Amino acid sequence: MEIPATLIINQILFGLALGAVYILMACGLTIIFGLLDVVNFAHGTFYMLGAFAAFVTVSLFGNFWIGLASAIFLVGLIGWVTETFLIKPLYGKDPLYPLMLTFGFSLAATDLMRGIFGTVGRIVPLPQYFIGSLMWEGIFIPKFRIFIIFLTLGVLIFLWYFFKKTNLGMIIRAATRDSLMVRTLGIDVPRIWTFGFALGVGLAGLAGAVNSTIQSALPDMGVEITIECFVVVVIGGLGSLGGAILGGLIIGQVISFVSLLASDWSNVAIFITMLLILLVRTRGLFGEAGRL
Amino acid sequence: MVTVFLFTGLVSGVASAKPIAALLFPLSGPFSAMGTDMRKGSELALEEINAQGGVLGQKAEVVMGDDEFQAPVAIRKYKEMVDGQGIKAIGGTLSGGISVAVNEWACKNKVLYMSFCHTSIPLGKEQCGYGFVSGMIPYQTGVATAKYAFQNLGKSWMIVTQDYRFGHDELSAWLTISEKMGGKFLGNIYSPLGQVDYSAHIPKIVATNPEILVINVYGQSMDAIIKQLGEAGLTDKKMKFVIPKSHLFTIKTSGAFYTENFYGGHTFYWTLQDKFPKAKKFVEAYMKKHGEPPSQDSDGGYVGTRALLEAMNVAKTTTDVDKLIKTLKGFKMDYNKGPEEFRACDHIRTTSVVIVRGIGAKASGMNYGQVVAEIPWQDTLESCENNKNDVPYGKVKLPGK
Repeated sequence: MEIPATLIINQILFGLALGAVYILMACGLTIIFGLLDVVNFAHGTFYMLGAFAAFVTVSLFGNFWIGLASAIFLVGLIGWVTETFLIKPLYGKDPLYPLMLTFGFSLAATDLMRGIFGTVGRIVPLPQYFIGSLMWEGIFIPKFRIFIIFLTLGVLIFLWYFFKKTNLGMIIRAATRDSLMVRTLGIDVPRIWTFGFALGVGLAGLAGAVNSTIQSALPDMGVEITIECFVVVVIGGLGSLGGAILGGLIIGQVISFVSLLASDWSNVAIFITMLLILLVRTRGLFGEAGRL
Repeated sequence: MVTVFLFTGLVSGVASAKPIAALLFPLSGPFSAMGTDMRKGSELALEEINAQGGVLGQKAEVVMGDDEFQAPVAIRKYKEMVDGQGIKAIGGTLSGGISVAVNEWACKNKVLYMSFCHTSIPLGKEQCGYGFVSGMIPYQTGVATAKYAFQNLGKSWMIVTQDYRFGHDELSAWLTISEKMGGKFLGNIYSPLGQVDYSAHIPKIVATNPEILVINVYGQSMDAIIKQLGEAGLTDKKMKFVIPKSHLFTIKTSGAFYTENFYGGHTFYWTLQDKFPKAKKFVEAYMKKHGEPPSQDSDGGYVGTRALLEAMNVAKTTTDVDKLIKTLKGFKMDYNKGPEEFRACDHIRTTSVVIVRGIGAKASGMNYGQVVAEIPWQDTLESCENNKNDVPYGKVKLPGK
């Protein structure tokens, strides 16, 4: 089968946009794991909460941008409360406890949202200026996908600046390596952890808000993406932000090209990719525990 | 109305009598919007039957619940009601795959099963005698939409197919009719069940540039692909979009993206009330109860439930499965689309397919689309002999399978 060059370029562009959402999700998961050593099984649930936060605020205010911003802040706030009252008491205990807690939280939150919003998908309308595609010589990409790519790029630049250049970011990085030492300097490390958790789930909320405009907000929408997000993080290496970015890019391209060449394999292709990478590098591409 | 919701603890009405039927719908999962409509149709039928004196002189009690869009869950819940409550008539489900599994279970356990959806249980080895269908066989909407499309919209076509029994049956029908009517098949894309991001397929669709793109997916997947085609700015160009089994909810939620380029197959559309007086009565009663017009899944739930309960009155039994089956064979109805029946040989409802064209941004109030054709059942349903042997559609070699 001969594949035109423009089609390959288009698949790369669409794969990039797909990967961008995975990157947002995986960066959040990585921050939480790297900082707290918590495997957040509720990450997809915070993604879902972000979608509903966008739905509610866009319905109330009719503004897409308020929807995006509220998804980060409302979900971050829920994350702050969750970490403070539910996860914090489990620090220092068996790592299985927070894992089970986040799993239970995801089941409870999903059912709660079913009770409130029902099981019918809620639509977040896309602003008119994002509808349509940019086209040039057979190459095309929808405007909103370009926005997703640049939004993710902006978030990554923010994260880089935050972790490398700000005092708070440097304290967080230090706390991931040696929290005891940071504590002896008089820094309130538990509050740092809470902030890190809120930041991580806020990114998941943002991803949910973005996807609610091209899919629908549904209570069980977080289930599948949680699994995919873990695949991305495992490929990149647990605790590595660079790994999360590379993992997201790889999975985006894998889905894009498998969809083109053998669409009925698109569901399993990401798992085969993970398997192959783990066979070569058992800790993932950049795996090194406890590093941001 | 006397309805008990399975496992939810919700009971409405007086649950004094013993339940006589168990109905399950996908109230959660990717088909939840459609499953909810189906339940609403069943509730209306139950209410009407009870208003007319109930079943065998008593208010009918019917158990309704969520099958969670999973065959094992559906079978477990049906089994609990059959074993625990002595129910001998079950109904519902909204998936070709799940209904085939439930039908197999019903046959083994000698329980009457009224499927409300598009299902292949009247075909070939699935035809076991205990299953009836108030929806239709998937190939029927495939045949109806394909015939309409090749006559009116163009010849070259590409299809996105949900990768399970329902999607395969629709694809078979399209391939068969395409060959008969000189269609030009340009390719198929299989889509896993529950897929909600189709963006990676859009470059291939654009590069192939068919006159007709067949959207052979259902539920949330159908809503998502339309949204993403619209987002890419493709729904108001030259390409026509044909959906073998569309849905009122999808038209509503797709909004302006469901343009005049969209043509969907439905077993019911509310404007049929202009043609059939009884459809008007059905639409008005449904609107009064639920505050919205009925969809084709409302119709499937309504007709299936009403027929099942009326058959119990005619057969004078709620538990004698043989008598109920004998009654339902050839059972004549005139509920909401003119005279219909459950064909005696294969237990399929003889009903037409309505083709509804989108109106995009012009949609307002209840006005979401325009009926452009009604294809009679005689033009879509194969003979008893063909269905028994699952020909011709069951013998089609599907691409990549």
